[in-house]
Amino acid sequence: MSGVAKGSVGDLGRYVPAMSSALRPRPNDELREWGGTPLVRGKRILDLGCGDGRLALGVARFATSVEGIDPDPEAIAAAKRNARKAGVRNVRFAAGAAQHLPFPGAAFDLVILSWTL
Amino acid sequence: MVDALAEIHRVLAPGGTLVDARPDSRVPAYAERRKPRGFQRFGVVKTSRQELANDRASDLAITRVVREGLFKRKRAGRFWHRVPFDDLADLRKYLSEHLRFVHRAEWVVDSATRKRHSNDKFVIRRAVRYELFEALRTRM
Repeated sequence: MSGVAKGSVGDLGRYVPAMSSALRPRPNDELREWGGTPLVRGKRILDLGCGDGRLALGVARFATSVEGIDPDPEAIAAAKRNARKAGVRNVRFAAGAAQHLPFPGAAFDLVILSWTL
Repeated sequence: MVDALAEIHRVLAPGGTLVDARPDSRVPAYAERRKPRGFQRFGVVKTSRQELANDRASDLAITRVVREGLFKRKRAGRFWHRVPFDDLADLRKYLSEHLRFVHRAEWVVDSATRKRHSNDKFVIRRAVRYELFEALRTRM
């Protein structure tokens, strides 16, 4: 995936900063409420509005692959740093907009809008 | 928003799942003091008008794509999430800066009680709603 998704969001990310992970539920807590690990195990997952990768990195160990998209380039940079720090290899992050996703049709089994819509 | 949901439908395999989780603005949040055992309610924190309007717009967009046959509702629920604060001043600072809530709590305890416990730990307890949708195969 390229650094910036098709239909670039321009400056949008500057004005819509990602919400701080510290104020959100822990990924495991959120996942448990939604139905637990069967929801994500072995799945190709897209986390839209991924912010600093809180949830994408939280579900990555169960998933086949995770893509994280967020309009805020600074949040994406933080997400990439967090992924490197955590040693997670099946997650990729890119800046982009939900209206123009840089993926082919039927590319995912699960799309997550966590505090995004 | 409908455009984004249609795009999500495109990248989801038929039968795939969409999860929509967000704060539940239909119920108020609560400012609570942390006690050795449990919590004491200190105030009610309402959602800002702007965020209420945003949530309604999101709900309408979801309703529309379900009506258009892109998704089918599978399951919904709600849970509570606590945001921690070091003291009452920390909580007030959060409220003054945060866009989701109105900037002042409606206190249910008197000012003397607030002053007496101002250095205690506090939380904002808020509801989070979630809904799971199945991506339907659309006729070309």
